Amino acid sequence: MQLEVTEDQELLRDTTERFIEAEMPVETVRSLHDDPAGFRRDWWEKCAGLGWFAMLVPEEHGGGSVSGAGLIDAAMIAEELGRRVQPGPFIPVNVVASAVAELGTAEQKDELLPSLAGGETVAAWAFASLDGGWDAGAGLSAIRTGEGFRLTGSRGYVQDAQSADLLLVAAELDGAPAQFLVPADAAGVRQRPLTCLDLSRRMSHLEFEYVTLPAGALLGEAGATTALERQLQVAVVLNTAETIGAMDALFSMTVQYAKDRIAFGRPIGSFQALKHIMADQAMYLETSKAGAAAAARAVQDGTADAAEVVSMVAAYIGDMSDELAQMALQIHGGIGYTWEHDLHLFMRRIRGNAALYGEPTWHRERVCAFHRLGERGQA
Amino acid sequence: MSEPELERYRADVRAWAKDNLPPRTRDSMRRRTADKIPAAQIAEGRALQRKVFEAGYLGITLPVEYGGQGLTAEHERIWYEESAAYAVPVAAGVATMVTLGIVLPTVLAHGSEEQKRDWIPKMLSGEETWAQLLSEPAAGSDLAGLRTRATRDGDQWVINGAKVWSSGADMADFGICLARTDWEVPKHRGLTWFKVPLNDSRVTVRPIKEINGSAAFCEEFLDDVIVGDEMVIGAVNGGWPIANTLLAYERAGGSHGGHGIIPSAEASRGPGMSRRLPADLVALAHARGLENDPATRQLIARAHINDYMQAQLADRVTQLARSGKANPAVASLLKLGIGEVQPHRAQLAMEVAGRAGIAWDADDENAGATALNYLSGRVMSIGGGSDQIQRNIIAERLLGLPREPSFDTDKPFREVLQNAKQWR
Repeated sequence: MQLEVTEDQELLRDTTERFIEAEMPVETVRSLHDDPAGFRRDWWEKCAGLGWFAMLVPEEHGGGSVSGAGLIDAAMIAEELGRRVQPGPFIPVNVVASAVAELGTAEQKDELLPSLAGGETVAAWAFASLDGGWDAGAGLSAIRTGEGFRLTGSRGYVQDAQSADLLLVAAELDGAPAQFLVPADAAGVRQRPLTCLDLSRRMSHLEFEYVTLPAGALLGEAGATTALERQLQVAVVLNTAETIGAMDALFSMTVQYAKDRIAFGRPIGSFQALKHIMADQAMYLETSKAGAAAAARAVQDGTADAAEVVSMVAAYIGDMSDELAQMALQIHGGIGYTWEHDLHLFMRRIRGNAALYGEPTWHRERVCAFHRLGERGQA
Repeated sequence: MSEPELERYRADVRAWAKDNLPPRTRDSMRRRTADKIPAAQIAEGRALQRKVFEAGYLGITLPVEYGGQGLTAEHERIWYEESAAYAVPVAAGVATMVTLGIVLPTVLAHGSEEQKRDWIPKMLSGEETWAQLLSEPAAGSDLAGLRTRATRDGDQWVINGAKVWSSGADMADFGICLARTDWEVPKHRGLTWFKVPLNDSRVTVRPIKEINGSAAFCEEFLDDVIVGDEMVIGAVNGGWPIANTLLAYERAGGSHGGHGIIPSAEASRGPGMSRRLPADLVALAHARGLENDPATRQLIARAHINDYMQAQLADRVTQLARSGKANPAVASLLKLGIGEVQPHRAQLAMEVAGRAGIAWDADDENAGATALNYLSGRVMSIGGGSDQIQRNIIAERLLGLPREPSFDTDKPFREVLQNAKQWR
C-alpha cells in the first residue's frame, strides 16, 4: 500500500504473511465459521507475540513498532489480514489500546496496555447506537454516583463483544460524550449476538442495565468528542487497509482465473469485454491504494485535514471495493457464485468493512460538514 | 543530499520566485490553457521562461550538458512547492507543455548526443516549441497503422501526409512526426521519427473547431516537406519503441504536465494551504438554495472526493514512474482515471446546476462555464488514446492478459490495407 517501505517493514510483512499462511490459511478460517467466538485465544496470543497489538502502545508499556510510525505498520498488518480474510478483533483492540495509551491515567495504562499488547486481554470498542449511528454516546447514559458512575442504555454493532474481556464504551455524561472502560462480565451488561454477513466476524448489541462502575472506569476527560474522532480515524485507516488487502487478493484471483479459464477456444482473459473490466478494477485498486496510504500518513502525522482525508478515502474505497467485488464475480461466472469458492468470503468482508465505520454516504456528508457547507461563513 | 543544503536551496528558490515571478491569479491560470495565445503574450511568456531557465529552474534534474542543472528530484519538488503560488511561465500554453512534458523526455531517451546538446536547451529556454504529429485522419487508436510517408531522395527525406489532433501546433515551431518509411514490413517495423519544421511553406497548419467551440487542436498537411538525416530521431524503421516512450509521457502528462508542469489543484496545494470544496459546485448549489439539500451535498462531496482521489493516483503513478522500477504502462492507470473522472465531474456539475446548466443569463459566468465543461470535460476520455485503448494497455502490459487475435501485426503493411477491404 505505502510505496516507500523500509527493510524492517518488509521483514514485518513477510513474517506476517508466513505466520498467517501457517496458522490461519483460508481453509482454517472456513473451519471457524461456525465457532461462536470465530477465533481461539491461543492463536490470538501467538498473534500478540508478533507485536500486532503493540504498535500503537508506547514502549514503556510493552509496546513498540518496527518503524516508529505505529499506525503505518499496523495498517500494513491489516492489509495482510484482509488478504486472507482473517478473523478476530485486530482493529478494535488496536483502537482501544491507542485510546488507553493516549488518554489513560498511569494506573489505567499500567493495568491494561501490557495485557492488551500481550494478547491476554481482548477488548471491544462500542461506539455506535443500536440503529448503527455514530451517536457520540447518546444512546448510553452515564450518571455520577457516590463511588463512580452508573450506565443505562445500549450500544449497537459491537465487534467481537462475544470474546471481549474489556469494553470501551461511548456514553453521554452531563450532556457530553464520555468514554468508559467496562469489564465485559460486569453485572448488568447483556449481550445479544447478531448474525453477520461476514462469516468470520462476530457482532453483538449490548444492553446496559444499571451497570455500576468505579471512578477509575472513566477514560480521559468528559467531553470526549476529539478523542472519539481520533479513534474513528485510527479505525478507518486500519479498516481501509484491510479492505485493500481483500481487494488485492480478490483481484489477483480474478486475473489468474481469466488467464486459466478457456472458452470459445481461448483464455477468457483475451476477450476485450473482460479485459476492460479488469483494467477498470486495476485502476480502482491503484486509486484505492493511493488513498489508503495517504489516509494512513495523515492520521499517523495528525495533520489538520486528517479527518477529512479519512472520510474521503473511506467513501471512495467503500464504493469502489464493492464495485470491484461485483466485477470479480462477473469474470468468474457461475463458479464465483458457489459456496465452495472463496470469492464470497472476500465479497462479504469488503461489504462488511464498507459499513463498519460509517457507510460512504455518511462519510460524504461528513466531508461537506467539515467544510461547513451551507453554514454561514462556510469555508 | 543533506538537509541544510536543501533548505538553503529552498530559501534561494523562495527569494528568487518572490522577486521575479508574477503572482498566480485566476487569469494567469486561464491564460496558460487558452487555445490561441496572442503573439505578443507568447513573446512576453518566452521572455519570462528564458529568465526562469537562466536562473536554473527549468530542467532542474536534467544533465548539465543538455542545459539542465543535474540536481535531484528533491530539488525539483522544492521548486514546485515554492513556485506554486506564482504564475510560472508556460509561454505557448499547451505547446510549451507538450514540448517540456512529452517531446523533451522522448528526445532525452532516444535522441543522438548531438540532438540532445543542440535541441534540449532550446526547448528549456523557450526558443523552440514543439508539437506532436502523431494521429492521422485514418489512424488514431491504431497509431501504428498511419499512412504519412517519408521517402528517401538522395541524402534527404521527402514527407507527405496529413496529421491531426496536434495540440498547440499553430503556436509551435517544430513537430515530432511519425512517418512510414517501409511499406513492405509489418506495420510496427516500418516507422521512423522526424523533426519537422512547421513554419515551412510546404506545411499547412489549421486549427480544428471542437464540440465546445474552441480550437485547441490542429490538423497539418505535409506536401513534399524535405528534411535531412540530422532530423531523424532514433533509427530508421525503429520508430515504434520510441512511440511507446512518447505515448507513456503523454498519458502520464494528462493531469500533471509530464515533468509536473501543470499539477492539478489538489496536487499543487502546498503544505498548509487549505483544501476547499469545488467552488463552482458550491456556487451552483448556492444559486438554487440547495447547500443544505442532502442529495445535492452528496453530489458535491462525490466531485470533491473524486478530485482528491485522482490527485492521489496521480502522485502515486508519478512516484512509481520516477522510481524507474515500475512498468511504464502504469501511466495508463492515471490516464484512464482522468478519462473517467472528468466526464463524471462534468455530469455531476450539470446535476447540481439543474436548468441553470442548459440556459443562462449572459453574465452568469458559472452556469456558462458548467455548460461548457459538460462538453470540454470529455476531452481526456478520447485525447491521448481513448479509455478503451488505455484499458487494453493496462490489461495486456500491466496485468499480462493474453492479446486478442491480430489480423495485421505479422503481415506487410501494404497487404494489410488490401486485405481489410475484403473483410466480411
